[in-house]
Amino acid sequence: MVGFLVGEALRDLRRAGRVAISAIVLIMLSLAAVGSFLLLSGNLGHAVSAWRDRLRVIVYLKQEPSTAAASALARKVEAMPGVAGVRYVSRAEALASLKKTLGKDASAAEHLTANPLPASLEVTPTADAATPEGARRLVERLSALPEAEEVAGGVEWVDKLARLQRLVTLVGLGFGGVLGIAAILTVTTATTLVLHARRHETEIMRLVGAPELVIQLPLLLQGMVQGLLGAALALVALAIAHAFVAPKLVPLMAAALGLGRVDFLPVLQIGAIVVAGAVLGALGGLLARGRVAA
Amino acid sequence: MIAMDRVSKVFSVGPVKVPALTDVSFRVAKGEFVVLHGKSGAGKTTLLKLLYRTEVPSEGDVEVLGQPLAKLSRRGVAALRQNIGVVFQDAKLLPGRTVYENIAFVLRVLGTPRGEITARTFDALRAVGLHSRARAYPAQLSQGEAQRAALARAIVRRPALLLADEPTGNLDDEMGNEILQVIRDIHAGGTTILFATHQARLATGLRRRVLVLEAGRLVKDDG
Ligand SMILES: Nc1ncnc2c1ncn2[C@@H]1O[C@H](COP(=O)(O)OP(=O)(O)OP(=O)(O)O)[C@@H](O)[C@H]1O
Ligand SMILES: [Mg+2]
Repeated sequence: MVGFLVGEALRDLRRAGRVAISAIVLIMLSLAAVGSFLLLSGNLGHAVSAWRDRLRVIVYLKQEPSTAAASALARKVEAMPGVAGVRYVSRAEALASLKKTLGKDASAAEHLTANPLPASLEVTPTADAATPEGARRLVERLSALPEAEEVAGGVEWVDKLARLQRLVTLVGLGFGGVLGIAAILTVTTATTLVLHARRHETEIMRLVGAPELVIQLPLLLQGMVQGLLGAALALVALAIAHAFVAPKLVPLMAAALGLGRVDFLPVLQIGAIVVAGAVLGALGGLLARGRVAA
Repeated sequence: MIAMDRVSKVFSVGPVKVPALTDVSFRVAKGEFVVLHGKSGAGKTTLLKLLYRTEVPSEGDVEVLGQPLAKLSRRGVAALRQNIGVVFQDAKLLPGRTVYENIAFVLRVLGTPRGEITARTFDALRAVGLHSRARAYPAQLSQGEAQRAALARAIVRRPALLLADEPTGNLDDEMGNEILQVIRDIHAGGTTILFATHQARLATGLRRRVLVLEAGRLVKDDG
């Protein structure tokens, strides 16, 4: 029976011909649009979380404390909420690391008569303090320390990146949604044609007492086949685009966002695209059936 | 097997009422061979449609295979039709499928096991003498062949009741007789037959019980 139902669905698809093909193409376009925005958003997400991990809040101290005072201060800060870790950086250490950063330009630092750098605490926020609101509160608490001269570091720009990521996702979903509606309507048209082409079969099925399910399922199936084909084509197109574009994009991404690679969609999203295709197709099939029944 | 009790059917075409059947009552017992005769427009097809329930009576009660049809659910209608073979006046062969596929189609939609389909389809084709034309498409068939294909489809599930609407329709006598012989054979196998025809020659020549319809009224029942 399953073989029969699938056979009928494929036969119907052939009969719908060009309209079915445009439905498949539209489903492919809408899912490819959603997919490419998901791809972009996913990689931006990687950048955001990579940067969140690297996020530090620096507390510049008024004076260099004694070793004992420094470790006491570090322990005090470590006990504050929102703090995952603290590292004390002495003035000498700060200068050494500046020289290291400057590399061959370090000679510039050699000309310094005195060390201009203050001692500082390098505070790693906990994950929940790495949000703009959490970070603001952490900065407030750290600024209240009597030893603190100035507190630097915030998460505003990481947050901007996160907002960009959300925007990209929304634009993708909106874009895909509009195309998806067009796709559903096209599947509906294709299915209406199928219903017309199938009217003799449907009549005979009813007249010989076929169960309603057997009469309706091929319609649903041919819609789903259109959707699945569209989804498969969209994924193939995305994979090809990714294979070609990603290597060219890596240097740019590395420079701009510190991202070493451009990933393809995670398995879950690939699955979601396939399911979305099947649902779009089935919806089109169902709508056509409703239209004819009405 | 069949019982009609004071059945009337009125079609409404806009404001116009067309009485197709008026106050028709009769019974057909299991195993009978009954001819339904009447001129064109007398109401033969309408009467058959009431029996396989594509039409419902305006008045009166219809019983088929021991079942009153009045309160049949959708499922009940499907179950009823599975036990009735119908040769439609317009054959209703699917144009895109071969003779074989047309007949196998009925078995497939009703979930017959795959292994039985070929054998049963060919049994039906042999019964009507059409097995050599199994691969032909309906457009490639003569009228007589098309009627036999329709007949094969009606009997492929070995129904208890066969309703045949003008199966000898526009055929010459020789072809008509061939089809009649096939229906006689089916009757001999135990199937109850209701055979509608406008041809007086067949109605009297068959020497069977004849119901005569005139303008929707049953005017003669020699049973
Ligand atoms: N669906 C319908 N709507 C309106 N009138 C109908 C409908 N079906 C049948 N009729 C009318 O009912 C009457 C009986 O028609 P029916 O088809 O039952 O006759 P018949 O005996 O089968 O004729 P024929 O020998 O030409 O097939 C006719 O007057 C026909 O016009
Ligand atoms: Mg008729």
